[in-house]
Amino acid sequence: MSAKVAIVGIGQTALRTSADDRIYHEHDYEAARLALADAGLDRGDVDTVICSGWDAVDGRTISDMHTAMSSGGYLKDSSHVGEDGIMALAYAYMRIAAGLFDVAMVTAHGHAESSFETVSNVVFDPLFVRPLGQSHLVSLALQANAYAHRYGVSDEQAAGVVVKNRGNGAVNPRTHLRSSVTPEDVLSSDPVCYPLRALHCPPQSVGGVALVLCSEEMTRRISEKPVWVTGIAWAIDSYDLGSKDLTSLSSLSSAAQKAYGMAGISDPLRALDLAELHDITPFHELLAYEALGLAPEGGASRLVEAGDTARGGRLPVNPSGGVVCGNPYGAAGLLRAAEAALQLRGEAGQGQVPGPERALAHGMSAPSGAAARTDCVVIMEGG
Amino acid sequence: MAKRVAIVGVGLTRATSHRVDVSYPELVYEAVSGALEQAGLQAGDIEAVAYGSMDPFDGVFAPERWNVEACAGAGVANLPLMKITTGGTTGGSTALAGYYHVASGMFDVVLAVASQRVGESLEAQLVLNTAVDPIYERWQGAGAITIAALQGVKHFWRYGTTEEDLALIAVKNYENARRNPYAHLMRMLTVEDALNTRVVSWPLRLSDCCPSSDGAVAVIFAAEKRARAIADQPAWITGAGQITDNYWAGDRTWYEDWDSLSMLARRVYRQAKIENPLVELDVAELYNAFSIQEIIEYEALGFCEKGKGAELIRNGVTTMQGDLPVCPSGGVLCTNPIGATGLIRVAEAALQVMGKAEDRQVPDVRKALAHAWGAVIGFHTLMVLSSEAP
Repeated sequence: MSAKVAIVGIGQTALRTSADDRIYHEHDYEAARLALADAGLDRGDVDTVICSGWDAVDGRTISDMHTAMSSGGYLKDSSHVGEDGIMALAYAYMRIAAGLFDVAMVTAHGHAESSFETVSNVVFDPLFVRPLGQSHLVSLALQANAYAHRYGVSDEQAAGVVVKNRGNGAVNPRTHLRSSVTPEDVLSSDPVCYPLRALHCPPQSVGGVALVLCSEEMTRRISEKPVWVTGIAWAIDSYDLGSKDLTSLSSLSSAAQKAYGMAGISDPLRALDLAELHDITPFHELLAYEALGLAPEGGASRLVEAGDTARGGRLPVNPSGGVVCGNPYGAAGLLRAAEAALQLRGEAGQGQVPGPERALAHGMSAPSGAAARTDCVVIMEGG
Repeated sequence: MAKRVAIVGVGLTRATSHRVDVSYPELVYEAVSGALEQAGLQAGDIEAVAYGSMDPFDGVFAPERWNVEACAGAGVANLPLMKITTGGTTGGSTALAGYYHVASGMFDVVLAVASQRVGESLEAQLVLNTAVDPIYERWQGAGAITIAALQGVKHFWRYGTTEEDLALIAVKNYENARRNPYAHLMRMLTVEDALNTRVVSWPLRLSDCCPSSDGAVAVIFAAEKRARAIADQPAWITGAGQITDNYWAGDRTWYEDWDSLSMLARRVYRQAKIENPLVELDVAELYNAFSIQEIIEYEALGFCEKGKGAELIRNGVTTMQGDLPVCPSGGVLCTNPIGATGLIRVAEAALQVMGKAEDRQVPDVRKALAHAWGAVIGFHTLMVLSSEAP
């Protein structure tokens, strides 16, 4: 791969519980305006727009009729992925790498106008699985249970992940839940879907995220603080929960191996300075460590216990607080890329990791939770 | 710069109002296995998948998940899969995504799949109505049919197009569809029959409106070296693009002229080095969901001057025997599995260039155009396919 693509603009709106003052695509608009201002570009400089989101969650069809406009797409070449925004980043990357576009706007939004849980039931096949009440959360809980049972992950170890991330979120003014919690808080929180408790589960946050991507030539011309995408890959896993191993994330392993190959990484624990992971539950953050090759199978919780993934540890994971602190469904994966890029620019504020050079962002695009989940891994390096 | 990319295999399914003989994954497998067979490839040759469908038109949300294994075993193989949804242009946008996957240099063989089971949705027009603004526009009942009827009314008023002209378009497409085993409507239609069908939304009669279909399609894109090894005659992509018009139907000035499509055509023709499309194109697969739109598309795509579209059909220019056959497949007017329809246009255009369109083949096709519109006429996609590499 000779093509070089950089993130040159980052836009995040404040995350909150609800937003009666605006309709969903206005989050894309606000984030896109922030990202353009951050990049020092105008709408006229953008030549392609990639939006994202799930129409069934937005409660309408063809949601990009709205979001493409709000993201600056008028009379331009736009497209829309029915995925988390991290996949819009992947698509924009390909368009620029093809040499056909120079400046791409990528947007994603999350809102609270519908229940992701209710809608996700309809992803499951109508004959065999849907009547069981299967959903995003239920499938993730099954996976969490399978993993915890196989490797003896304790409630205390899962709580440790939440405590770490909520502690990081407490100093991140950009996230939604900005208060730390104790292990006792987590262990005594209400059961939601065994083994998941209320404090294991992310909030449903409202807000928008936008990134501006540029070709190498354009980046050199306009950006003083580019963040280069040096590796990117994505993969999907199989749909039938009953016929796959739930105790590992094969799609994430596959994507990570390809992204590491592109970026020339052989020892990720050593090569990476921080990671922003899609911790949809604490068990899934642990599963991700293993899929990313940061820990041996079943060994992830030891990294947390040793403080290796704390903000001051060997490889800080989710210094932003992660998804457990802020979860705009459909934008949470793209938000990982935005937060990792801010870190590489040294602009993450109180949560800044000292002097990072290389970061990993992981976004999950999974309307059906653990079934046919897509994982996208982005390796980025500061300019 | 962009790598050379070609289409090397196409798979189509039979389309009917409701394919009750197959489950959703089986329908998709029918298309994918057809494309693999035509290209002489195995599932293991596929490196990535671009999948298109419009969720709310199916009885299932995010059907690419249920159908993941039907896409060359993508889930078990942990392939990269990307879901595309852009309304009626979904199939066209999925073709573009497949093209960019290869053009980026990241993948050599990519499967583009699109599917829809409109037969499982409550009522497609009710779903489409949710696309427009809930406060200002939805209550008016706006959807695809009413917007197309507005186009017709303005075209009639400004350019003198008539109901007989629309009937000629319908008759031509119905006749073509009878030679296409993958078409949904395959029955004889005369001008008199067409003018006797009921009015759906004036000036559109039933024969001026597409059916709603269950169907799927798969198209394999390959990088130059692989394409030359796989296919005797690949269909090379020489021009491709999309254009996004504004959201508010009332803010658009162009109902009879479709200027956004003209703008896109100029961009794409420049890439494909086409100066006179009527002369240089050998066949066009247009998104004629409503008969009036085929006439407006002739004009917007530069086949004739504005307002002269009806003359092309009156003079038989766009029939199978004419200078520029339009929709040898019978077009959208005869088959419309919504999210798949745009990719079917690309598939049919590719088959024409590859010389594999069987009974509907136009002789000696060197350049073919595939079009789609979507988003309550707000989006267009175009792709030019050629027998010669760019």
